[in-house]
Amino acid sequence: MSTSRRRTAAAAAVVASLSLVVTGCGAGSKTASKTATQVECDYTAPSGETKVNVLAYNSSSVDPYTNTMVSSCTKGDVTVNHEPIDFGGQVQKTTATLAGDKGTYDIIETYSFVIPQLAADGKLEPLDELVEKYSDEYGLDAINENMSEAMSYDGKLYGLPMQAQMLIMAYREDVFDKLGLEPPTTFEEMRSAAEKIQAETDIEYPIALPLLASADIVTAYDAALGSLGMNLTDPDTMTANLDTPESAKALEALISLKPYMDPQVTTFDQPAVQQQMYNGDAAMSIMFSGRMNDLTLESNSQFAQDMAFAAPPSVDGGDVLYNTVSVDGWSIPANTPLDKEMLFEMIASSVSEKASKASLPAAYPARDGMVTESSMPFAAAANESISKVPPSEPYPWTAEISNAITPIVASVLVGKTPVEEGTQKMQAAAEKILAEYK
Amino acid sequence: MSALAGAIPSATHGSTDQDDVLHEKPRRPPRRTGRALVVGGLLLLICWALLSPVLWTAMTVTKPTRLAFVNPPQFFYEPTFESFVNLWQTTSFYSYLVNTIVVAVISTVFALLIGVPAAYALSRFPSWISTVLLVAALIFRALPRFAVVLPMYDISRALHIYDTTIAISAALVAINQPFSIWLLRNFFAEIPEQLDEAAMLDGCSRWQALRKVMIPLMGPGILTAGIFMFLFAFQEYLTALVLTNVNAPTVPVFIATQLGQTLPMLQQAGAASMLLTLPVIAFAFIAQRYLVAGLSSGSVKG
Amino acid sequence: MRRREFAMFAGPSILVMSGLLLLPLYRTVQWSLQKVDYGSPGEFVGLDNYRQAFSNSRLADAAVFTVTLTLLVTAVLLVAGYVLAVLVNGLGRAKPYVLGLLLVPYVIPHIVGASMFLWLFNSNYGGVVTYVIEKLTGVEILWMTDTWANRILLAMNITWAMLPFAMLIIVAGLQGVPDEILEAAKMDGASLIRTHLSVIVPSIRGVLGFVALISIMDVVRVFDPLVALSPSAVQIGNESIMLYIYNVAFRDGGQNLGLGSAINVLLIILIVILLFPFIRGVAKEAKTR
Repeated sequence: MSTSRRRTAAAAAVVASLSLVVTGCGAGSKTASKTATQVECDYTAPSGETKVNVLAYNSSSVDPYTNTMVSSCTKGDVTVNHEPIDFGGQVQKTTATLAGDKGTYDIIETYSFVIPQLAADGKLEPLDELVEKYSDEYGLDAINENMSEAMSYDGKLYGLPMQAQMLIMAYREDVFDKLGLEPPTTFEEMRSAAEKIQAETDIEYPIALPLLASADIVTAYDAALGSLGMNLTDPDTMTANLDTPESAKALEALISLKPYMDPQVTTFDQPAVQQQMYNGDAAMSIMFSGRMNDLTLESNSQFAQDMAFAAPPSVDGGDVLYNTVSVDGWSIPANTPLDKEMLFEMIASSVSEKASKASLPAAYPARDGMVTESSMPFAAAANESISKVPPSEPYPWTAEISNAITPIVASVLVGKTPVEEGTQKMQAAAEKILAEYK
Repeated sequence: MSALAGAIPSATHGSTDQDDVLHEKPRRPPRRTGRALVVGGLLLLICWALLSPVLWTAMTVTKPTRLAFVNPPQFFYEPTFESFVNLWQTTSFYSYLVNTIVVAVISTVFALLIGVPAAYALSRFPSWISTVLLVAALIFRALPRFAVVLPMYDISRALHIYDTTIAISAALVAINQPFSIWLLRNFFAEIPEQLDEAAMLDGCSRWQALRKVMIPLMGPGILTAGIFMFLFAFQEYLTALVLTNVNAPTVPVFIATQLGQTLPMLQQAGAASMLLTLPVIAFAFIAQRYLVAGLSSGSVKG
Repeated sequence: MRRREFAMFAGPSILVMSGLLLLPLYRTVQWSLQKVDYGSPGEFVGLDNYRQAFSNSRLADAAVFTVTLTLLVTAVLLVAGYVLAVLVNGLGRAKPYVLGLLLVPYVIPHIVGASMFLWLFNSNYGGVVTYVIEKLTGVEILWMTDTWANRILLAMNITWAMLPFAMLIIVAGLQGVPDEILEAAKMDGASLIRTHLSVIVPSIRGVLGFVALISIMDVVRVFDPLVALSPSAVQIGNESIMLYIYNVAFRDGGQNLGLGSAINVLLIILIVILLFPFIRGVAKEAKTR
């Protein structure tokens, strides 16, 4: 190599490493997040340096709680640490950290759907005594009872509720107004609205639902089944209801939307559906309420001003909507070595009144009397939605059965398995799991 | 599997002097400039096609957030570096980057430290053991990562080193080892045995022969092996995915956990990709000289 | 070299490999015969996991998909890598710069490269390639859900990531082709293609074999690109064996470590079969020394 070339190479290496060093300044000391609020977090600090690891997926409705906890409870020798992660990552890491006698995480975000299974397996710390002890200090008595119920199993509380998420329909008001459409109240109306939008606008696929074949699709099936008045299982007889006519109808209802959805909809998780709305590719979508506020931010979408919200339709015109409520909260893993009282004070402070108020309008806090029509753009839709929801199924086998039938539901929806055969297979899978609980 | 007609001299020069390795073809006669132009144009097109994912990502992350992933795509916009600033301020990207580099450097150094003597021994010990070890190395190089990494996950948790840079570095040294001794052994095999025998006749021990005679001769070879080790460790996703959690994740793991995010974090994932890519592009330009030289000296054998 | 010296020189490496490769491998074989969870001792169940692995067509489908992909990508890599290497090797002063540019896809971590591909192709995220194709031909390609489109996307991504390496190795090989035989070919008046096919290619046989070997090893174990580029891999029949193992043994709802380990063992057997010609070559070559 000639000297000049060697010099160029060396210079390039120096520049590359310098750029790393220079940009490294200021990093490492993360600036407080914009959504963090300072609240009281008065735990008794243990001696020595302590790191509290928090596992919580990022979304605009969970972030305020997480960020408040991180910024309010990090003090002295105690550091509360949270790394950004998507929902799929949280699901996988929850399983991993709870396996074995010592986990990585000390506080985990949980939701009503997984509580029974995790609680039944003894993976989570019961919180009742701690709630009683710290109720006054953090105003925990104002936490909605139904939501506490949803985070309980066998009479014990395993997750401190932070917020509720229900399904909400987001739609493009400008498109609907132009065509004289009203937000649909049944799947039938949804299809005809979609047809009209297809015919009269450039929007090719007006409906977007999160139907990711490996995850979200089973939530959709469950919501449809619930709207038809049927539960997954009957706990008294320990039988599954997946081969009922309602089950077939739920699958057919979802299939009936396919002509109006992007052909790749089985790859859509909620962020992908949000993207459909941001881009104006879809004119209506149904997602959990925690994803709604993002749609109204001008920094995310040029159509932010045109987003409007309604309760989701019902599948068949009944009183129960295509809906499911998920309560999100904080749990303490049974296998954390840290002081549980300290951890509890941290999660209690993150759901305190001040912190909950600060989560508006992105989240629907778990405290009574927080959500008013003016507090969030989708408050009316959220309140109506939460009042017409199928009953929850807080059994340890619910999550297991959902996992087992996910690939079958997906296979039916992409047209690989006929509905009839699909319901038989789902029933067989569910019965097999129920047999283990008998 | 015949050996490459290797340019042994280039290895024995013991310098990184490239020009005689990259021996240029005699200059073309002028009437062939037409063809040269076609070839040049073609190569330009290929380069552009191969770089297009990087270029498009570079555009995506410098767009205003609401235009970043807009469909149909926007080609004209006012560039902004906001996503980089946000990435830097709201995530621990810097520590992921440090983890990645620390793991890559540590595992490369150790892989070479134990790999070089082993490869030397394999090239100088004509016995069935060497044959068995070489075949084992070949198979180990091809092992499905899960077959070793899932047990390592279990073991590292039992040893309380799970989620540390030490655990991934150790795993990568081991996973890297077969390829490095295999590659290095072929370099050593190209150096005539008479050389080290002569050194030993002059009173050197085996160690001294390796250190004072062989290693200096092996400059390009060791560098080549080192570059491969480094790149491998730097890129590794699966091992880091399974063996890390919050303390030691590397940038590839971080980026993978961001793919299911919405705006603005998704755009920050793109910014992270670019920040990771830029230094390695510089690395590619520097590394290609040594790689071509090292590989031509006869390491590549079936 | 004396036996004692050999032990001293090769010892640390052998130790590391037995401790960190052989031991885990042993554990995998052990797990494959157990019903087991992470962090707890397993229960011996004989060949149940293997029986379960063969009880449906999922493994066979994954194997067929993976092997086909491997052979296809390897063939493309050999041909395209050779052509590209010849083009690059003919360059004069620009050569190092072109090489540097061409190496870029190789140095980018695969998972990152795959996500860059995703943004380039997925229309939901403004994928420009899909947009341009649709504008030009009116055809909307469903990269994520159409089985073959997705296969092509995966093959493109893997080829993109590995082509620079293949080219680099072949360029290095071309440096060693003696000028005399090229001159001789020219004297004979051989055409350009003939010179390549019957003179140059045979003389770099070893190098091409090496490229094929590495390509087979790496594509058979393909995982990273699928994570980003094939979200519904299982539904559309594009599940690779490694992804199958991951889905079974690590992802939520499928912590079936025993079955995952059994598939691991079967994959190792498949790899050894695929690599058999190379293994024999190495063994022969090592013995003759």
